[in-house]
Amino acid sequence: MEQQEKNDILLEVKGLKKHFPIQKGFLRRTVGYVKAVDGINFYIKKGETLGLVGESGCGKSTTGRALLRLHEPTAGEIIFDDPNLGRVNIEKLSKAEMKKVRPNMQIIFQDPFSSLNPRLTVGQIVGEPLEIQGVAKGQALKDRVAELLQEVGIRPENMTRYPHAFSGGQRQRIGIARALALNPKLIVCDEPVSALDVSIQAQVLNLLEDLQEKYNLTYLFVAHDLSVVEHISDRVAVMYVGYIVEMASTEELYYNPKHPYTEALLAAIPKPDPRRRHRPVRLPGDVPSPANPPSGCYFHPRCQYAQDICKQERPPLRDVGNEHWVACHFAEELKLQGVTRLNELPLIELPKRQTPATPASSPTPATAPAAAE
Amino acid sequence: MTQTATQPERVSTQIVSEDDVLRVEDLRLSFYTTLGVVRALNGVSFNIPRGKVLGVVGESGCGKSQTGLAIMQLTPNVGRFEGGRILVREFNNSEPIDILKLEKNGPEMRHIRGNIVSMIFQEPMTSLNPCYTVGDQIMEAILLHQTQDKDEAKRRAVDILRKVGMPNPDRIAESYPHQLSGGMRQRAMIAMALSCNPTLLIADEPTTALDVTTEAQILDLMRQLQAEIGTSFMFITHNMGVVAQMCDEVAVMYLGRIVERALVDDIFYDPKHPYTISLLRSIPRLGANRGMKLETIRGSVPDPYSTVSGCPFHPRCPAAIPGLCDTVMPEEIFVGDSRTHTVRCHLYT
Repeated sequence: MEQQEKNDILLEVKGLKKHFPIQKGFLRRTVGYVKAVDGINFYIKKGETLGLVGESGCGKSTTGRALLRLHEPTAGEIIFDDPNLGRVNIEKLSKAEMKKVRPNMQIIFQDPFSSLNPRLTVGQIVGEPLEIQGVAKGQALKDRVAELLQEVGIRPENMTRYPHAFSGGQRQRIGIARALALNPKLIVCDEPVSALDVSIQAQVLNLLEDLQEKYNLTYLFVAHDLSVVEHISDRVAVMYVGYIVEMASTEELYYNPKHPYTEALLAAIPKPDPRRRHRPVRLPGDVPSPANPPSGCYFHPRCQYAQDICKQERPPLRDVGNEHWVACHFAEELKLQGVTRLNELPLIELPKRQTPATPASSPTPATAPAAAE
Repeated sequence: MTQTATQPERVSTQIVSEDDVLRVEDLRLSFYTTLGVVRALNGVSFNIPRGKVLGVVGESGCGKSQTGLAIMQLTPNVGRFEGGRILVREFNNSEPIDILKLEKNGPEMRHIRGNIVSMIFQEPMTSLNPCYTVGDQIMEAILLHQTQDKDEAKRRAVDILRKVGMPNPDRIAESYPHQLSGGMRQRAMIAMALSCNPTLLIADEPTTALDVTTEAQILDLMRQLQAEIGTSFMFITHNMGVVAQMCDEVAVMYLGRIVERALVDDIFYDPKHPYTISLLRSIPRLGANRGMKLETIRGSVPDPYSTVSGCPFHPRCPAAIPGLCDTVMPEEIFVGDSRTHTVRCHLYT
């Protein structure tokens, strides 16, 4: 009862760090650390999608993996609300305990080509988690696999085929079926659509949304494509060099950003509207190396609003009201530009099948009766 | 059957303009592999006017990269051209050269490659040689095409690096590719491609491997250089946002054919081909369709070894006309009275 307000939080991360040692020389002495994830805090509520965005090398994938202990975290707490075990500290669990929690935390990987074992059939790939956890075997296992494949839109007859026989989109569906096999609560989606073509990307995004609704799933959606993240997320966290700089509801973050990096990131997206060409706010320079980050706020060398304090003190992530978290000294003072809404660009209606008189919205020339030949 | 007076006009190959730097006519390319024949290009025709940017869009496997490689004669050895011409014109008054008639490694082709037509590739890490410094690699093209003098070549290499916005170009010229970040490497590629002031630059997904902020820098740079040098661009991409920001004209490809060609404004505001429309509807649009379901194109691009009868898009098309679309290949026709907008679809014949 005392945890009433915490009850709707599925996963809470406090001060998570993951440092990779840099080893040099014959003795492999550690000469420094790549601070891939450097003390981040966030939480995910039950049934929501948290988008995690940032440029390559900012530590977003490392974060996703550290949550499942695919990378051992260097420091910090990961508190997961397991339906059977209650609130557990993931980072402290033993191997056997971890195995009990894993059915509830699954992951979908970015590359549909390297994340499926080429020597196993699709049935074996999707059935493996069920076997390991001892959930089903024999005919029951087969039935469950068939059901899962059906769920993601792959014909169960294809169970005996190998991954090479499938296209990228289909393989990603197989990866999703595998993640779904044990009825997880949380799925970490690590760039699930970035390797796919646009039309296939839309299919997979819709599938993820349908499954979320049906099974009340919670997603951590790691991606670098801001339009995709806007589409699928309820809340979004922006990472820069191993640190979360802003976290807010999607609406807030896209239309009312409070961190200069978020502003620059949003301005950089090429808008799909030829009538609105513009030169984006120029963000000079490159992302600093996480092995040798700048002093103070990591963003200060590229920030056009930077002042002296930014060079010395690293701003903490703080709530500026309405669950809008920002790590910037001047979050309240800055007037930043968010995304402008695309209203002018029309969404063209598709011509309908077999309609000689074309639909009202698009002035297509009257289709001649199909008699030309 | 008789049709009314507004018989749509067929697009013929007669619109020859003095101003075109490139004309591709009915290009056909097939790959003979042990698994079967892949018809990569099935009659691709387009032209690029001087100083203009043509965007070529489509999903993977539609032949957009092969079109670019064919112009450079860099097609893999299993590929065989089965028809068509690729005409390149260096200056307004010079004779057009048919690239396909030239020997792949002959002196004429080597004169064209890198000098008149040059290319930027998607992955800057794999397209730069890791064993040579960036400066040496840029000098190679300059020494081959422009001057014999090494010091002069070096000076020009540093100049062009400065032009593409490299901080500290002298030091960059001495660096190896692995010492540079992804964005810097792509800048080095652009510098190399522009080192001989080419007439045509083919950019094959130049920003796909980059982050949005770097992408914005590179696009900005390319736009600026395009205005400055007046090079014509063929911009191969699948990102509709990049197309909208960069291109003057757009060609949409599907399974080795151009299905629609128009000015960039028409592609976004008045698209005709169901494939173009579906493609535009399936991209998540920032600030426009939150909470809405994304539209999808059902199915996926057919297996490359198979052949589809009739219009190649008909199995996935929401407007396919049974009995026509699945049997007859639509001709490329002008849309209405437009002289710039062409489409390959039975809905408009």
